[in-house]
Amino acid sequence: MNRFELIGLLQETLQDNLVVCNIGLPSQELYKINDRPNYFYMLGSMGLSSSIGLGLSLSIDKNVISIDGDGSVLMNMNTLATIGNRAPSNYTLLIVDNGSYGSTGDQKTFTNEKTSLKDVAIGAGCEKVIECSGEETLENLNKALADKVHSYVIISKIKSGNVPIKPIPLNPITIRDRFRKSIGLVSYL
Amino acid sequence: MQISQEIISNLKKGGADFFLSVPCKLLANMITILEDDKDVYYSAIPREEEGMGICAGAYLGNKLPCIMMQNTGIGNSVNSIVSLLQLYQIPVVFLISYRGTSGEPVGAQAGMASITEEILDTLRIPMLHCSTERDLEKISTFTNHAKVVEGPVAILCNFNLMNKD
Repeated sequence: MNRFELIGLLQETLQDNLVVCNIGLPSQELYKINDRPNYFYMLGSMGLSSSIGLGLSLSIDKNVISIDGDGSVLMNMNTLATIGNRAPSNYTLLIVDNGSYGSTGDQKTFTNEKTSLKDVAIGAGCEKVIECSGEETLENLNKALADKVHSYVIISKIKSGNVPIKPIPLNPITIRDRFRKSIGLVSYL
Repeated sequence: MQISQEIISNLKKGGADFFLSVPCKLLANMITILEDDKDVYYSAIPREEEGMGICAGAYLGNKLPCIMMQNTGIGNSVNSIVSLLQLYQIPVVFLISYRGTSGEPVGAQAGMASITEEILDTLRIPMLHCSTERDLEKISTFTNHAKVVEGPVAILCNFNLMNKD
């Protein structure tokens, strides 16, 4: 299973939740598969999907899912310590770990070698850390969302590889405002 | 403690209700105040760039975030300021302890101090300079200014002002 197939498989759960999605191909694939106002597509700032979702989950009561990549988590690994110590139960970090920087040409990341993001997350203080296959991800995501006591970090181990895809045509302010409207915070749209 | 108390009060009066900090000894009193404040969210975080992301999320959830940090933190955060906060027009208040200004005992702070305002200028970020206690009353209006301009604004608190608190 590659990322495109995984994101497609997860739609039945993602579409009803607030999702912050990593820059580049993950957001472009999510947009192509099922564009929704409750999906916040990142157009810049690689590494911060996990942090943006964390800030949102600390500010509202609804479930928030950050979709991140192994390369992006490696770029902002300190935020796993913040998540381990501060993430509320409505927060889930889904790391799509395909062992490669997909958006930049599939260069290999360190998760292909010695680095285990599961071990890093546990060491950072995250209590519920699940590493699973792509096929097992939906079940674990649903489990994470149903748990009202703990936040979760799910590391979905999948194959690298991309599908041909175009940049997201949406303006950033459109993404911002329709996302906030889906939470009920914008009245003028 | 009185200066730190006034700064926090004015930030809150201006609407800030979500606070993060990366530590600085000049911010220590403010951190102590916020740790005991039950009206607003507060957390320490390990790095400023991450804080820009958390602040962006907090704004999406209807907070007006404030990140407290040294001016060195601006250097750690330039891309996230431009391609997240400014790209999506997200209001965030930067409360900056301006290390390397007059009174600073650590020579190594001079380098970032000498380019801090140029960086903020280049980023077109509005600045409020606080060098005396009289300047502190401007903080509440300037905090609200972040919402008006829909972007980050920077409050720079000089070394001597904070060091006597």
